[in-house]
Amino acid sequence: MRALVVDDSGVMRKILIGALGRANITEVDQAADGKEAVEAVLMNDYDLVLMDWNMPNMLGIDAVRAIRASGKTMPIIMVTTEAEKGRVIEALKAGANNYVIKPFEPGAIVAKIQEVLQRAK
Amino acid sequence: MRAEHINPFIESVYELFRTMLQAKVERGAIGVSSGNHARRDITAIIGISGPTRGTVAIGFPAATAVGMVGRILGTTVHAVDETISDGVSEIVNMVAGSAKAKLKTASEKPLDLGLPTVVLGEKYDVQYPSKAVWLEVPFTSDFGEFNLRVTFETTPQ
Repeated sequence: MRALVVDDSGVMRKILIGALGRANITEVDQAADGKEAVEAVLMNDYDLVLMDWNMPNMLGIDAVRAIRASGKTMPIIMVTTEAEKGRVIEALKAGANNYVIKPFEPGAIVAKIQEVLQRAK
Repeated sequence: MRAEHINPFIESVYELFRTMLQAKVERGAIGVSSGNHARRDITAIIGISGPTRGTVAIGFPAATAVGMVGRILGTTVHAVDETISDGVSEIVNMVAGSAKAKLKTASEKPLDLGLPTVVLGEKYDVQYPSKAVWLEVPFTSDFGEFNLRVTFETTPQ
């Protein structure tokens, strides 16, 4: 399985790569903003994308819209500090499959990744 | 700006310690200051905009920042470097992001977060053009002390 982690924080990317590893996903690419994420998704086949919301160049929510507009259907989990109900609804409408609010307990993100991958089977 | 406007930010600090840091933290008394920042080695700053506008700053002694970021990463960090700057910017991002969802404003539109800025070094002042006051809360934690400061240009409800 191959995943893409999208976050402008290198520290957060490391945390998420660790969580993916605990979910047995060790092939992981990284992107630091929405624009890089869209480019990576168009050039590669991923089984899962973890997407931040607030990033320079292109917001994560716009990247989700662009990815879905391209026809890519892999699961996308928003992993963001945006905690308002309206933001969650906006992300799900844009095409995100699930939503994790930062800060999170280490085990919670692993469980969410496993849940989303199970549903995608 | 009333003292209770800082409460969502205090709650968010506790939430961060309960979830990602899994460590103890305790707050001190809320104070009011004019803009000159308490001397800290590292300060992470983030803006809030939308129906109300404000700024959130968290100031850390180097040892506290190194301890907190090391715990988040699950590794030992020895010195203030790019990883620490990145880590404290994510910390202020999480505190402000979580708090803004709890703030009541006159609009149903969510508040927007800016991108964090990190200032290294203790010889600087943070001032706000509106001359708004800063509410300040000192914290003590398993990693050492730090302080949270919040100001709003336009007051939430």
